[in-house]
Formats: sequence, structure tokens, C-alpha cells
Amino acid sequence: MWLPFLGLLFGLALGLLTNIQIPSVYENYLSIAVLAALDTLFGGIRAQLQHVYDDKVFVSGFFFNILLAAGLAFLGVYLGIDLYLAAIFAFGVRLFQNIAIIRRILLNRLDEKRHKKNKTSIE
Amino acid sequence: MKMNKRTSNKGSFLSRKQFELLIVCIATGFMIGYSYNQAKSTRSTVDTTLFEKEESYREELIVQQERNKELSEEVTALQKKIRKYEKSFVANEKEYEKLGEDAENMRLLLGELKGEGKGIRVTLRDGDYNPTAANPNDYIVHESHVFKLLNELKIAGAQAITINGQRIVANSYIRCNGPVITIDGTQHPAPFVIEAVGESATLTASLNMDGGVIDQLVNENIVVSLEENQHLIMPKVNMKS
Repeated sequence: MWLPFLGLLFGLALGLLTNIQIPSVYENYLSIAVLAALDTLFGGIRAQLQHVYDDKVFVSGFFFNILLAAGLAFLGVYLGIDLYLAAIFAFGVRLFQNIAIIRRILLNRLDEKRHKKNKTSIE
Repeated sequence: MKMNKRTSNKGSFLSRKQFELLIVCIATGFMIGYSYNQAKSTRSTVDTTLFEKEESYREELIVQQERNKELSEEVTALQKKIRKYEKSFVANEKEYEKLGEDAENMRLLLGELKGEGKGIRVTLRDGDYNPTAANPNDYIVHESHVFKLLNELKIAGAQAITINGQRIVANSYIRCNGPVITIDGTQHPAPFVIEAVGESATLTASLNMDGGVIDQLVNENIVVSLEENQHLIMPKVNMKS
């Protein structure tokens, strides 16, 4: 249960400690990659909560989304069109949807628990 | 949750699923941390550079404004000075003109310039031989006569004077040397032709005064002839030691 969180913290620490500077041209790619990663992560959590989690889908989605987003941004730079906005838009919408679903599921569970408690207390 | 249960049920510490999840989480964490770092560094650098730039520009502006103030003060001071100069210049202009004229006159007097212009010519001749007079000194021209004449001419405003064509300047000397007179080392016999540039009317009038120079000279048996000349030319003095 805590291993992914430990991994997240480890990655965070690693990212904070690395002091490599990337050119400002590629900062767009980075932001899109972060968005894609977050989207996939929350998607995974949602799938887990909805009992439809598949680790293959999760991992492949993670890397494929990142690559797709980066590729789109790359193409956008070369075509002179802000294509990365599409990726940002898509990932943003999905991020909000995922989080909303997670929130509802958690609220439902909380309600169920309370009902159970009430039932037990009444009994 | 279920996954964890399942994996733990399988018994291995690090199942494939967990490993994948770990990798994904590490990657996500790394990216977030890295971008945070990046954003922080750029933000801080941008902020500091902007701030420093603003500060430096402000300081520059202050320096420039101070300099402007100094310069404008200098300008007003200089303008004041100029006005003062102009006022004094206006006051002194006439004086300067007079000084210029004086300088011209001085040069003429020194013989540095060629004297040229209207003037008079006075010829002093020895008196005719008079056997009744015992002393020939009584009827020849002495240097004192020449002095008198020169003095009178100078008083009357002669600007340049020559004797027998030799220019008389400020430091000229005239000596009696027997029958001749020596002017600046050059001997001149009678008759003496004295030319003077100046207002000929004034010069003539001053020479012809009753009891004036010509009267005195004539009294001393000297033949004086005076003529006005419209155009006298006097040579420059060769600067001799």
C-alpha cells in the first residue's frame, strides 16, 4: 500500500535534488509530461477504485501518454501551431473527471460506512 | 487496495505489478520534483534579475537626474556669467575702440607702420648770410629749433613725423653735430624738410599761432616755408639697434 507513495516521495526527492538545467525551449514538453503522468496516476487510482484496474493498461498508458503528449508538442513547435494545448486540454479535462469520480466513490464509501455504523449503533 | 491484498496474498515482496507501479510513481515524482525545481530556479532567477535590473536602472536614472541638475545649474551659472560679460562688453566697447585707435597711433608713433595720409611739410633753411652779424650761430638752424617744431607738431596731433625722409619714432634722438644734426646716427645737413601726417589744418594753425613756433623761428633768422600736402608717404622704420 505505501510502496507507491514511498516511490513517489523518492522520485520527488530525486527530482528536487537533480540540478540539471534543460533549455527553456523544452519546458513545454516537461509540463505536458507532468500533466500526462498525473493524469495516468489518477486514472490508475480511479480504475483501482472502480475495480477495473489493469496494470498493463496502466503502465502502457503512462508511457504512451507521455510520449504522445511530447510528440504532439514537438510537432506543434515544428508546425508553428500550439498543438500542445490540445494535450493539455485533454489531460486537464481527464484529470478533473478522474478526480471527480474518485471523490464520488470515496464519498459513497464514506456514506456506506456511516450507514453501517448507524445500523450497528441502532442495533 | 485489492491489488495490494492480492500481491501480498501471492507472498512475494515485490511482484511485477508492484514493481511497475513503483517505477511509474518514481517517474511521476521525479518529473514533478524536477519541474518544480526548474520552475523555482527560473522564477527566482527571473525575479532577481528583474529586480536587479530595475534597481540598476533606477540608480542610473537617479545618477542621470543628478547630473542633469548639476548641468542645468552650470548652464544657469554660465548664462549669468555670459550676461555679465555682455554687459561689461557693451560698457567697454567704446573704450575698446578708443584703445584700438590708440594702439594704431602708438604703432604710427613707433614707426612700425607706414605713415600715409594728409599732412604738412615744413622746410627749415638757414638764414641768408648776414655780414653784420658776428656770430654765424645766429642764423643757422639748430637742433633746438627742430625740437621746438617737433614738439609743436606732436602737441598738435601729428601721427607720424619724418625729417629729411627719416622717420622720427618714440625713441629717436636728435643731436647737434656742428653744422649738421644727427638723427638716430644719421647725419642730416640743412635744409631740413620736416613732414608730419595729421590734421593739416590743425597742424598749420598750431604752427602759425601768434608767437608760435614759426614766429619764434623766423625771429631767429630761419627761413621757414610751410605747405600742406594731400598725400604724404612715410617709410617704415628699419629696426636698427
